[in-house]
Order: sequence, then structure tokens, then C-alpha cells
Amino acid sequence: MMRSSNDRGNGTTMKLAVSLPPVEAPSDVQASADPDFALLARFVQKAEAAGLDMVLLADSAPAAGSDTSKRHVPFEATTLLAALATVTSRIGLVAAASTLAHQPYNLARRFASLDIISHGRAGWNATMVADPREAANFSRPEGFSPDDFRRRAEEFIGIVQGLWKGWDADALLFDQHGGRFFDPEKMHLLDHKGEFFSVRGPLNVARSPQDTPVLVMSGLSEPDMDIVARTADVILLDEPSVAGANDLKRRAIAFGRSPGAIKVLMNVAPDAEMAARPDVIADRLEESFRSKSCDGFNILMPPLESVLDDFVDLVLPELRRRGLVRSDYRNATLRSHLGLVEEEGQ
Amino acid sequence: MTAHQMKLGAFLWATGHHIAAWRHPQAHVTAGVDIDHYIQLARTAEAAKFDMIFCEDAAGAREANVNIASQTSRSIGFEPISLLAALAVQTSHIGLVSTASTSYNEPYGLARAFASLDHLSGGRAGWNLVTSASHIEAANFGATGLRPHADRYERAREFAAVVTALWHGKPDGASGLGHDGRSFSVRDALELPRSPQGAPVMVQAGASDVGRDLAARTADVVFTAAQTFEEAKAFYDDLKGRLAAYGREPDDIKIMPGVAPVVAETESEAREKYEELQELIPDDVGVALLSSYLSISDLWRYPIDGPLPELPASEGMQSRQALVIEQSRRDNLSIRQLARHFAGARGHWRMVGTPAQMADELEARFEGGAADGFNVMPSYFPGELDTFAALVVPELQRRGLFRKDYEGRTLREHLGLKRPV
Repeated sequence: MMRSSNDRGNGTTMKLAVSLPPVEAPSDVQASADPDFALLARFVQKAEAAGLDMVLLADSAPAAGSDTSKRHVPFEATTLLAALATVTSRIGLVAAASTLAHQPYNLARRFASLDIISHGRAGWNATMVADPREAANFSRPEGFSPDDFRRRAEEFIGIVQGLWKGWDADALLFDQHGGRFFDPEKMHLLDHKGEFFSVRGPLNVARSPQDTPVLVMSGLSEPDMDIVARTADVILLDEPSVAGANDLKRRAIAFGRSPGAIKVLMNVAPDAEMAARPDVIADRLEESFRSKSCDGFNILMPPLESVLDDFVDLVLPELRRRGLVRSDYRNATLRSHLGLVEEEGQ
Repeated sequence: MTAHQMKLGAFLWATGHHIAAWRHPQAHVTAGVDIDHYIQLARTAEAAKFDMIFCEDAAGAREANVNIASQTSRSIGFEPISLLAALAVQTSHIGLVSTASTSYNEPYGLARAFASLDHLSGGRAGWNLVTSASHIEAANFGATGLRPHADRYERAREFAAVVTALWHGKPDGASGLGHDGRSFSVRDALELPRSPQGAPVMVQAGASDVGRDLAARTADVVFTAAQTFEEAKAFYDDLKGRLAAYGREPDDIKIMPGVAPVVAETESEAREKYEELQELIPDDVGVALLSSYLSISDLWRYPIDGPLPELPASEGMQSRQALVIEQSRRDNLSIRQLARHFAGARGHWRMVGTPAQMADELEARFEGGAADGFNVMPSYFPGELDTFAALVVPELQRRGLFRKDYEGRTLREHLGLKRPV
């Protein structure tokens, strides 16, 4: 395996995501739909041109504590992801979707379909925060206790991941002459019967081009860590620590996963500082990364091209100069960008 | 003033509407995993000035028996809301309509998704409301069985009312939606701007008595299956007659029966094409499909060359069951003949002929007051959609029966529907 002298010693470079929260559209954008989508499309295309791993599309129904009289980005995240998938070709696209707002079968289908539309670049961001306001819009005015919500979310995620694996990768035969579209031996029913859900399956969407869509988890608290260790591909944390990262890797191993199977990204909001002191931002990111408290960063930013410009034009070149960020996409899928598959081409 | 012209939908389904379409050498066999194929279909339909493309949906497998399922292409495909969102930004005019079930969704989430689709498409989205009649779907949502027909429709009525209220925005001075009903409770208004076309277009296809009432109350477009002119006319008059009770005008609903064309330059070529497809249907697949329309599981026990047995009433698709039984008695068809007949077009109007013959028939139903337009169901994709666009659409345009260009930008404008207040 080739190793760069400047990485942190195990051949990996930092993973970089940018996050688009559902903030108010900038005032210079007209209220009509097209300019909004064009703006978002340009933003994501710019992130792709810069070689970033993924864009995270926030979603909530409605945003916690928000004023509904204010107008937000007028798109629901999974539909936005589908549209962005057709105007990009490399960057990963991750949409938030709540376990309160969907049935697991429907959500599994939506993301499996998004993964095929994007040719293996889709991810699902499952938040572990039980938003009482969201529950109140989904016929659950009484909400859930934190413990019920956690057990329900764990069951939900297990069903979704199980449905995603219902078709073997080589199940589809397309044998027109022999009259077999798929191999019945390679289709597996889920037959799940649990505390909150019962789901027979199979999913009526084919196997994901990247095995399964990437599962990103956020809004985590200490009791969530076992669920994370068992199921997550990427976690977003506000304050990762070396101890916390090590603890997570230990738990993952206990569930039979490799320590590299979960990538820890730290949320950072550099904003206005970037233009003034890109080297300071780069120092800070490098320090966290080299200390092994995280595998990379999720840059929180408004959907303003100028803010992304600052990151892409000022901070990113500095990180590249230091050998901390790969120079271009090496493969097509989000899993491969994140180093979540067996290393290809090495 | 806009001329009196028919509306056309392009009904997309897997490799084609014919059950054996995927085996046809000119069908695109990987349609269910190829987004570019769908982008191409949408652009073909748009270039031909179709009002909309329409995607069916089921929240589960189409066929419980895996051996039967493995001989069709319908076990896998795109989830339609994500599919239409992708197509929205790859097209500019054509309407984008998809099915979604009121039995396995929540109104707030569905209203948001379609409102978002309407924004992404600049006002071209539509929702086809179905209540879902399949046990296979029910088993994916915790249910041990289907809810009774009447319960499904009661839930659907409340669902439609909440979605409509969410799309129309909160009343002035209200702090949210504040719906607290029998099946659903919803606190907030939608956190999205008003839909570009006022509200996405509401489509329905239920043909039972309660289904017709729900359509008369809430639908903008109704899809239906009718084999003969008389059936189509009776349905048309009945549904339009129900509108006044809800304070609506006959023009407020566009009725679009399905038509499954097999078209070629000459009649003998068209017949040949149809027979080629029919020959590709395995008997067990045909019988299984027929069983599902009849909502029974043991049709295979009866002699395949014998008549259809007497059947009990079901909680499934009541109108479709009646239609199949009626056809079997009228034409004295064996199970095998009936299976082949329905495998081809699923109870819809099958037409095999030349472009002029097809235009004659469509014109007769349109001018005869049996349809406002048609939902076109090509046998296989992309070939049969291409053929319809290349041969039949120009013939309809020559006769002044179909538009030569879009008059507006939104789906409501294409359909000549009022913008909701």
C-alpha cells in the first residue's frame, strides 16, 4: 500500500462533507422555485468540482423551534437529492429523513431508489433526536419517551438495512430467452416481526449499486452508541474526543465490525473566519485529524456560494498542500469516497 | 379560447404494460435500474406534447409467489417520488404524476413530498391517490390483513382533506393546521411556499361507488379502465353527474380511461406484433395475474381450459373483479384465454391497428362524450411509446384533436384546470 508522508500514518486522508441546513433563502433570491434549485445545484456542483466527499441535505417537518411564517428552502430533502443526483456525477448526496415521519418500508425504498438514480452516491442521515413537534404532525401528539424512541429507531434502522440486503448483488438475470428475470434463490424475505413494526419484504427496488446506501447518524447521545456501533457508516458529532472515538471503535469490534467501518466526522462552522485566517482553520482541522479524534469534518454552512468559495478557494488548497485531503475522486460511489469499501486499485 | 382537445398521459410501467414485455427483444430489459432510460421516455413524451407521464406504484411486491414473480420484470423498479424528482429537472413542460397510498403514508409527509416535487418542476406535479388493495403491501406495514374497503376509503377521505388543506396553506391568522381527526392528527402548516400551480393536481382511479364519490369530491383527473364505448360512457356520465353535489362543474374533472395500443403502419403488422407478445406469456404467469385481479389465491386448482368458477365478493379491487367476471361471461372465455386477455392490458382497452384506426377510435370516444382524454399504456418501452408518438400523435394533431404545442407551463394549465384559490 502506498503511503503519503504527510497523512496521519495509515494511508487515509480526511473526509470532508458540507452541510446545507434548511435556513432561509438569501433575500436576493426570488420566491419562485427555479432560481432556488439553480442556486442549490450550483452550490453542489462547486462542492463536487472541489472533490468533497458529500453534501448533507437537512430536513425537518418543520424545523425545531422555527417560525413557519419564514420561508425556507422549498424542497423536501429526498426529492431534492433525486434532482441534484441528475446534475452531478461524483459527489455523495446524503438526505436527512426522520424515523418519525416515515414507515421503514417506504423509507428503505426511497433511499434504495435514490441510490440507483445517483449511481451509488446516496446516503440516509438518521437523526436520533425525537422531535416532539415532528411527532405532532405525524399523528403522534403524545410523542415518544427517549427510551421508546431509541428502541423504535434501532428497530427501524435494522429493518431498513435488512430490506436493502434483500436482493443479492447478482440476483437479476435479465434472461429474456429463458424467461427468468431474477434468480428466486437470490431474493430473501425479511419477515421481520418486532416490538414496533412488522415487515415482510422483499423491497421492490433492486440492490444498491454501492451495496447499501450509506447510513449517517447524528444527534447522538451516550445511550445511542451501541446502535451506532452496530449500524452506522458515518457519525456526525459536535465534540468528538480521542477517548470517544476509541470507545466507538471498541464497540464496533465487539459487534464483529472492523474499526475502520465507521467514520467519525466533526461538525465545524468556520463561517466568516475563513476568509481572514484560512491557515488557522487548516491548523485546527489538522490538529483534530492527527490526534485521531475524528476521520474528517462536516462543514456547516448556509447555502451561499461565497461561503463555500472561501472554503474551497482558501482552506482546501492549504489542506491539500499539507497532504491531508485527496486530490480527486478515485472511484464512483460514496462508500468508496469514504473508504468504507475494501480499498480499490491498491 | 382553447380548442376542445383531448388530454394524453404516458403511463410508464417497468419494461412495458404487457406482462411479457421484458422478454420482447426490443424492450429495454434493465429499465428498473436505469434512470437514463426514464429520462429518455419523459423527453419523448414531452416532445410529443403529452400532458403528463404517470407512474404507478405499490408499496410491496406485485406477486407473492416468488417463482411467478421471477418470470416478470415487476418485482423491482424505481420508487416513483424520487423518480419524478429526478425527471422534474431533466424536463421542462410535461406533467409528472405518481401514485401514493393513503393506507401506508401520513398526510403531512406526502403533502410535503408532492409540494417539493411541484417546486422542483415549476408546477408540474400530480398525486394519484390510491387506498391499496393488496395483502402483500399490507404485510409490509404491520397489518395482518387488509382493512375493509369502507375503512380504507374513510381513511382516504380524511387523508385527502388534510393534504389539500396543507397544500392550500394555513388560513389567515391561524397558527397552524390543527387537524385532529379519526385517523390523523397534524399540528403545523407546511413549511414550504405555496405550490407553483396553487396545489399539485389530484388524480384518482378508484371506480367503486365510494371511490367515485371520493373522486367527485376531490379529484382533478380520474383514470379508469373501460373496455367498450358503453362502459366508458356510463362511467363518464355517472362521475360527472356526481360533481354538482359537491358544488363542482363537469369541466372540473378530466376523465382519462387507459388505452393499451399496439400500433403499426398496417393492421397485419400490428396483429403480428401483438401475437408475438402474447406468445411470450407463460401460462402460470397469466393465471397468477388473473388471480390477483380476482383477489383469490387458488385459481390454479381449476382446469385452465375450463370456465372461471363462481367467486365470492372480496375486500380487494372490487370494480376490477367485476370487470373480469363480466368479460369472462360475455365472451365465454376459458381461464387460459381470460388470463392471456388480461395479461396483455390488465383490463384496460386494448387496441390493435393502424394509426388511422386508432385515431378513429380515440376520436369516437372523445367526441362521443366518453372520455376527456386517454392514459396511453405502451406494451413495451421505449419502442411502443416512440411508435405512438411518431404515428398516432401526428394523426390526432392533423385532425385538430390534440395540441401541437404546450399552451402553458404547469400541469393545471395543460389540463385546462382552474388554479385553486
